[in-house]
Amino acid sequence: MRFGPIDVEFILGILPFLFKGALITIELTVQAIVFGTFIGLFVALMKISRFKVLSILGGFYTWVIRGIPLLVQLFILYYGLPHIGIQLSPKAAAVMGLSICGGAYIAEIIRAGIQSIEKGQMEAALSLGMSYAQAMRRVILPQAYRRLLPPMGNEFIALMKDTSLVSVITMVELMRSGILLNTTYFRPMEIYITVGVVYLIMTTFFIYLISLLEKRLAISDGE
Amino acid sequence: MIVAEKVNKSFGKLHVLKDVSLTVQQGEVVVIIGPSGSGKSTFLRCLNYLEPIDNGYITVDGQPVGKRRLPNGRLVDDSRKNLYRLRSRIGMVFQRFNLFPHQTALQNVMEGPITVSRIPVSEAKARAEALLAKVGLADKAQAYPVQLSGGQQQRVAIARALAMQPKVMLFDEPTSALDPELVGEVLEVIKDLARDGMTMVVVTHEMGFAREVADRVVFMDEGSILEDTTPQNIFTRPGHPRTREFLSKIL
Repeated sequence: MRFGPIDVEFILGILPFLFKGALITIELTVQAIVFGTFIGLFVALMKISRFKVLSILGGFYTWVIRGIPLLVQLFILYYGLPHIGIQLSPKAAAVMGLSICGGAYIAEIIRAGIQSIEKGQMEAALSLGMSYAQAMRRVILPQAYRRLLPPMGNEFIALMKDTSLVSVITMVELMRSGILLNTTYFRPMEIYITVGVVYLIMTTFFIYLISLLEKRLAISDGE
Repeated sequence: MIVAEKVNKSFGKLHVLKDVSLTVQQGEVVVIIGPSGSGKSTFLRCLNYLEPIDNGYITVDGQPVGKRRLPNGRLVDDSRKNLYRLRSRIGMVFQRFNLFPHQTALQNVMEGPITVSRIPVSEAKARAEALLAKVGLADKAQAYPVQLSGGQQQRVAIARALAMQPKVMLFDEPTSALDPELVGEVLEVIKDLARDGMTMVVVTHEMGFAREVADRVVFMDEGSILEDTTPQNIFTRPGHPRTREFLSKIL
């Protein structure tokens, strides 16, 4: 069966191979989100710290990482580091690059979220005798993270799409699966449209998950 | 109960507190009045070190606030731990209530005892329920702050502060953000506390309240205490021309 340039049978034939790649893409995305969120929370707390050294270090991190293209960072990690004796597997370099980069953006999102909470909340918590850490954990972060969800959702989707970049460091995920198929069959139209559609399905599902989460949080907030 | 000696505080070039000294006895209700920008709220916030002071010395219940005096007389920053412990014994009520919006009224009142005093949840709950009943909101325990009126929110905030069983209560313009018809219910709760013998410092523009409840009224202007006397004195024969001018504008 054909629709214009699209041969449906050919597409059905390559789908299993693309799905295998998609699984790797999902795995990379989830790992990058988990590590990136840890890095992001840590860097965000550094940036708003009253200790100058920490806030400068945090600012330096986000400045450098956000200012250099992820592609360049991946090349440094995978092709650069071996020259000083550090050999990373494609998987390790990919997860590291995506987490470091995602972490910088997530740090900015978390910082903005924390700072959007009214100053009186921290003061009320402190006036009860809470330590700064207790106030953060019990009062500020629980409020911030509901506000964080929409921008975090965007960042997670961006991260999922950015995983396609790690195809250049020989990581066989969805994009590289498409490239490999194309070197065999040379049918770029069908292959890359299919790859695009698989990405679209995954990001759509992701958006749906996040909107579910937003609704649940809104309910637990009494609004 | 509270002793403040020569407290000074600047925000950049703005000298907002100039040698402010004040003593509050146990069980006393001191009301601080004065024009906006006179430093009265800042002074109140210095009493639990939400605002660090530049110099001067404050003690509450015999404990130094924020800065501790060494045997040689020098003042140094006290440990964070001491500060947190001290704050847990000083209740504070804010102009904008500052209830935790992600928690119910009951959870707001339980938060301090559970997180700071680490008492069992069942005990904290019983204490919180009793306090909500005391401020007349037993039926609103499960309501979130957004579902409460301003007056109700402020009463929950008072209960939240009382849950720490403080030695002193500080009120920072507790009725200024309220619609006029809701002011009374909050003042009633504060009056009840006064009758129970709670030591209180109240910054307010409610002169009727000051006249009725205060043991002393303090007038502040441009970062200094100009007058510290009984309500009868200040309202019938104010000693300082600035006090007279201020009172004539608002009474």
